[in-house]
Amino acid sequence: MADESILSDDLLRQLISVGEVDVVVGLPTHNNAKTAAHVAQMIRTGLLHYFLRQRAVILNVDAGSRDGTRELVQAAAISDARDSASLHSLRTLRCISTRHVEGPGQATALQIILASTDLLRARACAVVSPASSSIEPDWMERLLRPVCSENCDFVTPIYRRNAFEGLLITNLLYPMIRALYAQRIREPHPADFAFSGRFGSHLLDLELWRNEFSRMGAEVCFTATAAAGGYRLQQSFLGAKGQVEQQSGDLVLAMRKTLGALFWSLEQDFAVWSASTEPHAVTTLGPEYEVTPETVRVNRKRLYQMFSSGLAELEPVLTSILAPTTLAELKHCAASGDDTFQYSDELWVKTVYEFAASNHRNVINRDHIIQALVPLYRGRVHTFLGHNRGLSAQVVEDRLEDLCRTFEHLKPYLLTLWTKQEGGS
Amino acid sequence: MPSTPDALWYKDAVIYQVHVRAFQDSTGDGIGDFAGLAQRLDYLQQLGINALWLMPFFPSPLRDDGYDISDYYSVHPSYGTLENFQRFLEAAHQRGIRVLVELVLNHTSDQHPWFQESRKSLDNPRRDWYVWSDTDTRYHGARIIFLDTELSNWAWDPVSKSYYWHRFFSHQPDLNFDNPAVCEEIWNVMKFWLEMGVDGFRLDAVPYLIEREGTSCENLPETHQVIKELRAKLDQQFPGKMLLAEANQWPADLRPYFSVGDEFHMAFHFPLMPRMFMALRLEDRKPVSEIFKQTPNIPDACQWCLFLRNHDELTLEMVTDIERDYMYDEYARDKHMRLNLGIRRRLAPLLENDRRKIELMNGLLMSLPGTPIIYYGDEIGMGDNVNLGDRHGVRTPMQWEGGWNAGFSSADPEVLYSSVILNPVYGYQAVNVAAQSRSPHSLLSWMRRLIEVRKSTPVFGRGSIEFLYPQNHRVLAYVRQLGRETILVVNNLSGSAQAVELDLSPYRGSVLIEMFGKNPFPRVGALPYLLTLGPYQFYWFRLRRL
Repeated sequence: MADESILSDDLLRQLISVGEVDVVVGLPTHNNAKTAAHVAQMIRTGLLHYFLRQRAVILNVDAGSRDGTRELVQAAAISDARDSASLHSLRTLRCISTRHVEGPGQATALQIILASTDLLRARACAVVSPASSSIEPDWMERLLRPVCSENCDFVTPIYRRNAFEGLLITNLLYPMIRALYAQRIREPHPADFAFSGRFGSHLLDLELWRNEFSRMGAEVCFTATAAAGGYRLQQSFLGAKGQVEQQSGDLVLAMRKTLGALFWSLEQDFAVWSASTEPHAVTTLGPEYEVTPETVRVNRKRLYQMFSSGLAELEPVLTSILAPTTLAELKHCAASGDDTFQYSDELWVKTVYEFAASNHRNVINRDHIIQALVPLYRGRVHTFLGHNRGLSAQVVEDRLEDLCRTFEHLKPYLLTLWTKQEGGS
Repeated sequence: MPSTPDALWYKDAVIYQVHVRAFQDSTGDGIGDFAGLAQRLDYLQQLGINALWLMPFFPSPLRDDGYDISDYYSVHPSYGTLENFQRFLEAAHQRGIRVLVELVLNHTSDQHPWFQESRKSLDNPRRDWYVWSDTDTRYHGARIIFLDTELSNWAWDPVSKSYYWHRFFSHQPDLNFDNPAVCEEIWNVMKFWLEMGVDGFRLDAVPYLIEREGTSCENLPETHQVIKELRAKLDQQFPGKMLLAEANQWPADLRPYFSVGDEFHMAFHFPLMPRMFMALRLEDRKPVSEIFKQTPNIPDACQWCLFLRNHDELTLEMVTDIERDYMYDEYARDKHMRLNLGIRRRLAPLLENDRRKIELMNGLLMSLPGTPIIYYGDEIGMGDNVNLGDRHGVRTPMQWEGGWNAGFSSADPEVLYSSVILNPVYGYQAVNVAAQSRSPHSLLSWMRRLIEVRKSTPVFGRGSIEFLYPQNHRVLAYVRQLGRETILVVNNLSGSAQAVELDLSPYRGSVLIEMFGKNPFPRVGALPYLLTLGPYQFYWFRLRRL
């Protein structure tokens, strides 16, 4: 295999056998034995039910699972669903599988799925998380139909979420992308999504595959690229999202994957987001959002401690990132103590924007910039949880809307920081 | 005919289906006849076919194109006389062409004297030759076959003041095969034609011979008994003659018609035909390979009959609802093309006149296990006329040349039994035998070559089949084997070039000889055998140990 090859010879041979298709469903896996077989079976059932006439292939890209995931997916995806007459398939529904060696990260798997989609000249591709245990067959319809029938280029999901779940998305990614790219994309870091062949080919050619941060958070880059490139977007409501067990230390990784990728995208898309104006809604299949107000058990005191200790420990670093007034305000807040600590919307937005500008200026190592935001984000979460505890889902949603408007309102501030650097350099 | 007839001759046959009326008019009355058909036997001999299936040519009011027989012992006057038939038969035999006669056993015309007598009175000796009832509620488990025209399987007879049973059109009353006199008379009919020299019968609508309450009135054990008795008499008195069943059924339901080799010699494989079209459109071998999985083994002396198109609609009875919807959407978007549960179109228009698809489908027809049947005109890619009623659109005059009436008849065009095809794509000026005979690359010339290669080996007619399942599902590949002779068939069902790796490990060391050009291909080695195929291309390879 040549050094630059994305597709292994074995996968290429399988793809040649599959030939041109209408639909690809990518299933990137890594030690997902608990859920992947079920997900594969649902994909198969969905394809047979909703895409009976289309040429389809399920592509499992495994990152070296040691728990038999790959074999389970294969078995589930070829299992005979003909016990139901309504699932009789006209065509051969192939499930092919490949293994890559570059660890469990998504980027390589996504790149393989994109390259395969391109090679097979598929009209649409859906990528489904192997952890999406709540998947139903109609996810295939909801993700792929907008691409196949309505010429959409990128379909992101909307899940039924707990109001206190996905806080990195609700407090940072969604409002920031909405403010800058003027598109209200509720899940800018989608675990399950679909794209058109046209958009997939474009993604394949992007520089993102050669940058550490953008590779880690390729899905965020996909969203930003779609929004910036004028591609047709749609959101589809998928219902509940299966829970994935969180591991300690995930937050730093999550920040790297999401914020790092977003900051990378901002560099690429400055011309677009600097000129964009009022955000507009993205066509949505199903509810535009659906939250449930269950309370969550979080140790807010611990969050505050991590915030304040982080602020103190990282002050030399933060001095080079934040404006003096912002840092001073943060220190003032930190000094107020756990009970009265407030990390306001405006201060949070300013913080994030200053981090973005610093990243742009490359004031310090970019990974250090991302890591430096982690304790501050914890402080923001502390405030968000405290403010919204016991409130209805609608009130929480209203408050998130306020946050979004603050991001939009302060967009000129980011532009000033960004262009000030440009002029000074 | 061969001096030492092979009892299994039908396995090696290539059958040509023709309606006397549509082939050649020798008298200038606008209707084809036996003298005309005899004139065209040289053409058929050159085509390479070695059996003719004649659609019903008996006296008939022709309300169903001759499938409503009013006299089993004669020839319709429009087609000539018994003497004309005999001359034609001898001429065919002289050219090595066997003749199969189509008999409609299940029913007669309501104009048949038997029915006229039967309806006269309750005590008429022929009263029980048909199925009569005082009510129209008996046998309600039987489906209605001609859904577009019939509301019931019973029709009221005002003469007899009772209902008579008919599975097809109401002017086609069913004979009562529970009556031994009917069975005896039908054998007399068969004997009459066998003594004249015909080589076999295509028996129409056989599943419906007997009716029983509480059943679908199809494929009943009593029906099989009727056939067994006819077959026993045939073997005893006319050895070497053949019976072909028309039974539009699933393979498992068809299997009993072979029984232990004591019913039919051959039967049409109805479910295969639509699936070949489906596989082509889907670009996926699944429909074909799956129907063969469902096809039971048959006795050694028996054979499937394969066809692409015939005089009827492309029947979609033996497919699922999903498959039928797909076929309608892909092959008959124009509702005029649909009839009953099928599509009334010829081969070339169905395949969008794509020469590559036509060749591939004929290649499948000739290489899958069974005896192939070519419907007249399909060898030159004739078109159809969906504006003609019923199935008349696929029964238009044979197109011999670009001149008057396509060379079919010297009559005025208004007198022809049917107008010829006139449109710019399929019209007789564009599609005709004379023009294609002049070109070595025409469809007709190619068909002659295909039939020649098919007949060059008995493997296709008599050999076993083993499907290969290469990863590329657009490729349908199988191995045909008879004794020490092995043939590999590889078909690309898609409109784009394909690469395929075949597991030919059982044949390691063999050299592949392409059967049309006779060119050798690389020897089968340890690795999977890599082939590339152009759009809709197919290969037939003889595997040789060299």
